[in-house]
Amino acid sequence: MKKSNQDEKLARQAKELFDDSVEQLDAATLSRLNRGRHAALAELERSKPVGLWTRWVPATGVAAAAVVAVVVWQGAAVEGPLPSTGTVTDFEILISEDSLDMLEDLEFYSWIDPSDLQTNGNVG
Amino acid sequence: MSACAGVFAVSCSGEQPKGATTLQREQLLNQFLAGVERRALRFAEIAVRDRDEALDLVQDAMIKLARNYAGQPEDEWTPLFYRILQNGIRDWYRRQTVRNRVMVWFGRGAKTGDDYDPVAQAPDPAGRSPDEQAETAEAMQQLESAVGQLPARQREAFMLRTFEGLDVAGTAVAMGCSEGSVKTHYSRAVHTLRDALGEHWQ
Repeated sequence: MKKSNQDEKLARQAKELFDDSVEQLDAATLSRLNRGRHAALAELERSKPVGLWTRWVPATGVAAAAVVAVVVWQGAAVEGPLPSTGTVTDFEILISEDSLDMLEDLEFYSWIDPSDLQTNGNVG
Repeated sequence: MSACAGVFAVSCSGEQPKGATTLQREQLLNQFLAGVERRALRFAEIAVRDRDEALDLVQDAMIKLARNYAGQPEDEWTPLFYRILQNGIRDWYRRQTVRNRVMVWFGRGAKTGDDYDPVAQAPDPAGRSPDEQAETAEAMQQLESAVGQLPARQREAFMLRTFEGLDVAGTAVAMGCSEGSVKTHYSRAVHTLRDALGEHWQ
């Protein structure tokens, strides 16, 4: 018999024996293989790729926050701090008890304000 | 160009190929693993001569394939799976070598694997007579013993080509070497096995 034929025969016999041993696997072993396969499929579920939009959400959020931060910083640098005295004065007016009376006589104050300006203008 | 790079362009992108939904991919992977798991177990068992260890190796290979290569075309799964399994078997041998050195250092000796009994672990649902069953089991034991004594690369080439039916290109991917190396390893393996088993098998 030629050597190549002998090799083929050996390989064929080996494969038949191997296939036979595969068929002889017991139920407990097959059950463990089944569990292992499902563990692998669960891993596939865990490593499922996320959608394109979810990849951009963090980047978009960071970019938006950066833009807001730059705008706020630029605005503060240009305008400078608000005059504290004016703010405090307005606040004191608002919380004073007289402010409510002033609101009730709003028409009177709106009338007196132009006349006062005119008077000051005449004086000045 | 080597077969590894030329025939199977392997990447680790994990991107889903066009035309297959995730559910379809999961079903395809399930079918693939169900079809390959038994043979993979026997493959690993012959290599490490321990069923529990072989089960762990096969499960690890299945998980790694699902995690890293599920997005690859299905026709690449078989060589990729066996490549992962081969790497696991090689790592197992490395760990065993270290373990045996440590055990020898402490005077405990190495595990020889003599307690491995494929006959006891192979019930026969096909209903063959005990004599036939014993004869087949003995032949398989001889084959396993002879295959187990081959150098690692020859054993890999022989098992992948003969037991798994991979072609030369697929075996090259699974072994991580050139097609020429596969042919050389396979030829030497068959020659050695013919000498070892000749008197029983000719």
